[in-house]
Amino acid sequence: MIDILPGIQSTSSALNAERIRGDVIAQNIANSTTTRDAAGHIYQRQEVLFESLVPQAGADGGAAGQNGAQVSVRIAADSRPPRLSPDPSNPGKMIETPDINIHREMTDLIISQRAYEANLAVAKSAKSMALQTLAIGKRG
Amino acid sequence: MIDALFQQPEYLAAKRMMSATVMERSAIASNVANIETPDYHRLQVAPAFGAQLQEAIKSNDLGQLQNLTPALEEDGTDVAGRIDGNNVVLEKELVGLMKNSLDHSLETQLVTGNLLQLRLAITGRV
Repeated sequence: MIDILPGIQSTSSALNAERIRGDVIAQNIANSTTTRDAAGHIYQRQEVLFESLVPQAGADGGAAGQNGAQVSVRIAADSRPPRLSPDPSNPGKMIETPDINIHREMTDLIISQRAYEANLAVAKSAKSMALQTLAIGKRG
Repeated sequence: MIDALFQQPEYLAAKRMMSATVMERSAIASNVANIETPDYHRLQVAPAFGAQLQEAIKSNDLGQLQNLTPALEEDGTDVAGRIDGNNVVLEKELVGLMKNSLDHSLETQLVTGNLLQLRLAITGRV
């Protein structure tokens, strides 16, 4: 397949990665007070890990690394222990809640949004570049 | 015989420059995509390419002009203030993206100008 949009593989992998990150953050915020899941365990905060992924040589006709790197995303459970707080319905007893810091999640969400926007800007400029390439030889 | 029409040094040089520009764009896309990947080092077109191209244009070496191929390399310089081993600076990449788009416009115009000149020579019509 010809690659008419230079670098689009990297950009689309990053957009996908940021979307997954946004989903995971939403899941963390939504479950910030979930003390029991279906299996009876307390909710464990999830986090995304980004890794760069260099396509193998020959897969796209070029040598390895000559088309840039993509992003692969992995979701891992944060192993921090749960937080203990007083149980409002049982005075004197403590209750375990997930150790989720809402401020941290919101900050991550903003960072993720900005990264998504930056990648969208790259995708848009790839499009205008491809249109220019297609217009080679035409009188402008 | 038709090949000879496309052997002007300006045309060949513009084509080479365009392939470097497209490669640079993949590098920028990769850098922006990996802006938060730990231990990622930004990619760039090897600076040797520019010097080689200039050399080939100066010496009017058509063979070299045809065979020059740009390559990507890792930029190993560290950026102060980042602890994740990543050296991508978003501002730098976006400015590079803008410059890259303008470079590409220039090169498509150079190639188009060359082709239109050729058409004028063949048909005698503008």
